[in-house]
Amino acid sequence: MKKFLKNIFIVILIIFFLIAFSSSYKSLSIDNLAIVVAMGIDISDNNAFKISFQFTTPSSVSESGTSEKAPSKIYSVDASSISSGINLMNSYVGKEINLSHCKLIAFSEEVAVKGISKEIYTLINDTQVRPSTNIVITKCSADYYLENSKPLFENLLTKYYEVFSNSSQFTGYSSNATIGNFFNSLICHSCQPYAILGGVTTADDENKSTSSSNESNQSTNAEKDSSAISNASPLSNISNSENIGLAVFNDDVLVGELNSIETLSFLIIKNNLDGFLISVPNPSKTNSYMDLYLTPVNSVQTKVEIVNGSPYITIDCNFTGRIYSMENDSEYLDPKLLEQISDSCNSYLKSVLTDYLYKTSKNLQADINGFGKLAHSHFATTSDFDNYKWNEKYKDAFFDVNVNSSIKSSFLLTES
Amino acid sequence: MKQLALFFGVFVAHTLVALPRNLVESTKSGTIINIIYVAIIAILISYLIYKLIKNFSGSDIIDISEYLGGKVFKTIIGIIFISYFSISSGILLRNFCECLKIVYYPMTSLVFIILAFIVTLYIVLKFNFSSISKVNLIIIPLVLISIVFLFVANLENFSISNMFPIFGDGLFDTFVTGLGNISAFGGIALLYFLPPYLQEPQKTKKVFLLSMLFGAIYLLLCVSIILFMLIFLMYTNEILPLYSAARYIEFGTFFQRLESIFLLIWILQVCCYLAIITKISISILKKVTNCKYEKPIILLFTLLIFAISFLPKNYAISKFIESSVNKYLSIGITIFLGLIILILANFKKRVKNKIERIS
Amino acid sequence: MSFKSVLSSLFTFKPDENINKHNFNLIEDYNIKAYPDDDTAIKEPPKKIYPSLSVNLEFMKTRYNALINSDIIFREFVLNARGKQYNALLVYIDGMINSQIMDDFILEPLMMRNRNNLYGGSQNKVISEAVANNITVRKVKKFDLASYILSCLMPQNSVKRQTDFESIISGINSGNCALFVDTLDSAFDIEVKGFQQRGIEKPSNEIVIKGAHSSFTENIRTNTSLLRRFVNNENLVIENIEVGKITKTKCGLCYIKGITNEDLIAEVKYRINNLGVDSLLSAGQLEQLLSEDISIDVPQTISTERPDKASSYLLDGRVAILINGAPYAIIMPAVLGDFLSSPDDKNLKKTFSNFAKGIRLLAAFVTLLLPGLYMAITSFHQEILPTELLFSILASRENVPFPVLVELLTLEISFELIREAGLRVPSPIGPTIGIVGAIVMGQAAVSAGIVSPILIIIVAITGTASFAIPDYSFGFHLRVSRFIFIFLGYLCGFLGIALGLFVYMCMISNSKSFGVPYTINISPLEKVNGGKFFLPPIWKREYRSSFLNPKKEKKQEDISMEWKKN
Repeated sequence: MKKFLKNIFIVILIIFFLIAFSSSYKSLSIDNLAIVVAMGIDISDNNAFKISFQFTTPSSVSESGTSEKAPSKIYSVDASSISSGINLMNSYVGKEINLSHCKLIAFSEEVAVKGISKEIYTLINDTQVRPSTNIVITKCSADYYLENSKPLFENLLTKYYEVFSNSSQFTGYSSNATIGNFFNSLICHSCQPYAILGGVTTADDENKSTSSSNESNQSTNAEKDSSAISNASPLSNISNSENIGLAVFNDDVLVGELNSIETLSFLIIKNNLDGFLISVPNPSKTNSYMDLYLTPVNSVQTKVEIVNGSPYITIDCNFTGRIYSMENDSEYLDPKLLEQISDSCNSYLKSVLTDYLYKTSKNLQADINGFGKLAHSHFATTSDFDNYKWNEKYKDAFFDVNVNSSIKSSFLLTES
Repeated sequence: MKQLALFFGVFVAHTLVALPRNLVESTKSGTIINIIYVAIIAILISYLIYKLIKNFSGSDIIDISEYLGGKVFKTIIGIIFISYFSISSGILLRNFCECLKIVYYPMTSLVFIILAFIVTLYIVLKFNFSSISKVNLIIIPLVLISIVFLFVANLENFSISNMFPIFGDGLFDTFVTGLGNISAFGGIALLYFLPPYLQEPQKTKKVFLLSMLFGAIYLLLCVSIILFMLIFLMYTNEILPLYSAARYIEFGTFFQRLESIFLLIWILQVCCYLAIITKISISILKKVTNCKYEKPIILLFTLLIFAISFLPKNYAISKFIESSVNKYLSIGITIFLGLIILILANFKKRVKNKIERIS
Repeated sequence: MSFKSVLSSLFTFKPDENINKHNFNLIEDYNIKAYPDDDTAIKEPPKKIYPSLSVNLEFMKTRYNALINSDIIFREFVLNARGKQYNALLVYIDGMINSQIMDDFILEPLMMRNRNNLYGGSQNKVISEAVANNITVRKVKKFDLASYILSCLMPQNSVKRQTDFESIISGINSGNCALFVDTLDSAFDIEVKGFQQRGIEKPSNEIVIKGAHSSFTENIRTNTSLLRRFVNNENLVIENIEVGKITKTKCGLCYIKGITNEDLIAEVKYRINNLGVDSLLSAGQLEQLLSEDISIDVPQTISTERPDKASSYLLDGRVAILINGAPYAIIMPAVLGDFLSSPDDKNLKKTFSNFAKGIRLLAAFVTLLLPGLYMAITSFHQEILPTELLFSILASRENVPFPVLVELLTLEISFELIREAGLRVPSPIGPTIGIVGAIVMGQAAVSAGIVSPILIIIVAITGTASFAIPDYSFGFHLRVSRFIFIFLGYLCGFLGIALGLFVYMCMISNSKSFGVPYTINISPLEKVNGGKFFLPPIWKREYRSSFLNPKKEKKQEDISMEWKKN
């Protein structure tokens, strides 16, 4: 009798569990999900948010193995916050929206200027959003950016999103900014957040010359390359998204942008580069530039000291390089010439780095390199550091940059 | 070896849920120094316990309290320890299940998640203690490997400068108030009950000291993961800090969001912890009341833990209980009460020996 | 039944009736050694054969444990030589000799009256005679019975005359018979080997690359002779036990005296002698009758059809049971690591065999957990999957009408059906059905849109992994348990699987096989001397498995490759 009742009890328990967990199962099962690949946030006409979701249909790999280009669909809703936007989207799409494979979150410039801390908090609080999602500030509107994100070489959009941010490791023109890092820097009292700067090129000529006309018109082509910035791109005749440069924030408000050479300096100081290509003025010929490929010998040494109440920051870099470009009638193995090239490179890099550092300090007042963390060691307790108010003292900082590069030789050819 | 694993089984469970966050919150960036300092004190205390317990070989603290004060005292001590264990494990279960619910089962009501654990506990308690300790022996290395993996895989996200300022909020805060952090070593309570299970009494000293040392290293590792990576924990409150750390692991584009696997291992560990603690409580009750059969008591204890885990009305209250009430309970009961009993018992024994020698 | 009695039966606690139920532990206290260290056997000088037949008879009976050994035969008869009768004794092992040869060429010429033996006359032959001073001095050649028998009486092709017991005994062990004659201080080692060599086939279910290729047959005498040939030592005891009130099936309990633990032997004998069954017709029935009642269905004895595997287990200190009518030997005790080892492991180098063992361990995990994990991941934890994989799963599931659980269960059950059908298909079309069933049906199902291709791969990998497990009953147990894990994965994802895994591990750790804890050699941190799951190199395998508590712990010298010393 007892055994019979015990068996009945077990059966009832199993039924209870089935009922209880099946509601979660229904909401999370793979058949009921719509996978969002990227998200964009704009300001709509009536000052609310316009939230765009980019989906791909999964019928990209068929049985026979050939894969067609995955079509992507973008839907937008007007809502007052991200969560209500997701809610509204759920009712349009029918399947439940799942953000766990969202690779990219794009904010438009207008949104970023107003402060995005509330949105960042909401996104981080969501259990589905990965902290390694890339965050992009777009110069055009976010959904325009998403529409034009077509991979040039891959079939799958998601692969493109995963890979493009890694190009920073060998070009240095963009950085891998994730929402986790953004959130960390937002909370931290000694550094400021940054995001990738994105934009869309068009075949239109007008857009092309906006930013570059702000630079000096006498600049040579090489300078134009290194001062490239999103939305003013060198890529012609193709309407595509591009990500060059960084967006700089002070707290959660967008305060400025960095172009490609400034992003390069940022990455150098952060030790995030494996190697980079740089155009240096040629010492033997005026108005001509040489391309050098530099690799860091050891990591950049940064020292922070407090002198007279202001930060005094010393940066020492050490590179070795090889000459990339070749010309007729040049002897690149001549030690005197190599020394001259090294000196020219040193001074060029020093000026570039110093310009960048003073821009962040004086113009933007945003310590995105995180020098404040190195200043911790000068304070005995946390309250001392808080009282010092690093973020305000940063604009009085004094920088001392030393670059030491030794140019070894060129790559394959040594003389011609 | 088994005893080391038993100690770890009890020690590790709390750190998985909320302990590192509490520690970091209380002493901010001075936590590293604090942990080292507290660990040294804990090792000294365990050595003291070993010295005091050596005289009563093979008997645990219940027997010692019987020797000290007779049956009444034994009952009181037994009830104190049973209630401490039950409250501690009940609150841990509640916290862990809340976190599980938030992450994985937003629609299921909390009752069923806790019920799942309780049913497993009930089935497992029917087996004897040696099989539970064998399973523990297999699971603990897995947990340790997972924590080390977490540490290593996140090295690129570390910023060592989070360790500075090294004294956190100030010398006084770090050393004196930080003394409360010794509640992390609440696993010392297990050391009181370990002697009957030791098969080789001469290795007691080694077991005690080694377990404390490894516990300290493990705690240091956990805290450093949290401290170096997630600076915002100092200023916000997140659930399951180690889980948040696990979310950052990324190897290329293939291995991302591996934290579910970590959670699998940690669920096993929490089950182990519950099983060990409940088995010890049952044996305490058996000793106090001289019961012969265990089977009916098992149901009693599982229902007790089930009930306690439902006491707090919401997550905020249970978090408060874990961070403050549990902290003071563990300091008071494991360290002060235990040491007092041992010292008094030793004193009594010495007096008795003197009287016998005289007479 | 009244309401009150129902209530009271629900809520009162009755202690278990068999509170002193059967609980046999092989090692009670890990600190106390059951048997003190047995230092290297002192080599005694070889014993010489006694002239008196009765003393020889007693010696041989003691040496061969004849009171309990069932196949050692002592045949006493009267030997006729030159008209005189001498008492004689033949010692041999039944099943290893050719009885035709023995009857015709040993017993007949020695026992029966034949012309040679009728020759009477004096026993002594006079060689020369000399007379001097009325005293006759005769040189007489004494009659040498031994050489007479050797050269005149026995028309047997290979006879050796031995004077010490060791050589006689080794001869008997290898299948010869020994002839002892009263008043002779030597004995004859006669070649009469005739064990069955036909009928022994290759083992059909346990195939190895580098070992012997013989397997047990249905005849118990053949099986015992196979075992004897491998072990080749007189301390191998084969006791005769009868099981079954009607059939009285002969079972042979084999162990090596001097190595195996006495308590283990006593426990096995106790269990097998207290079986109240009418009939015993197969090894499988005996296996189940001897297992302790444990709630989980893991097998607790090994059944093998290879004599080399059985003898290596015997030499390790285990006990084997042979059954007349079944080509299997049952070996006990058996721990978890044994079900994942193949007999080939000891024949290969340690790297290869450890690699194979690792693969088998992985196969055990895959068989048990893979479908459950797939179920849990697709239902609750999709974020673990890389995005491209997730999209291919979604794409392949687009046309499938069933939810994941129904799809998975359908495929698993049809796989089991194919497996069952494959056992019964007549042999000409057997392989064809395998190919047709597995591949074509799967392909057709995918094209019809009933199942998704990813699921076919999962089920195929699981099935292949279950074939990689060497032991049949253990593989069966894993196949059945994986359904429970599928259900748990469906129920609550990783939580269910973790809890189920915890309960499963506790159940396995709790079970015992003949007093030995079940997981003792597979748990990585247990202290076990010898007998670990992953093998050390051959020159380090000095100890027998300590969990068997054998009498002799060491099985190799410290330096076993002594040729390297010089």
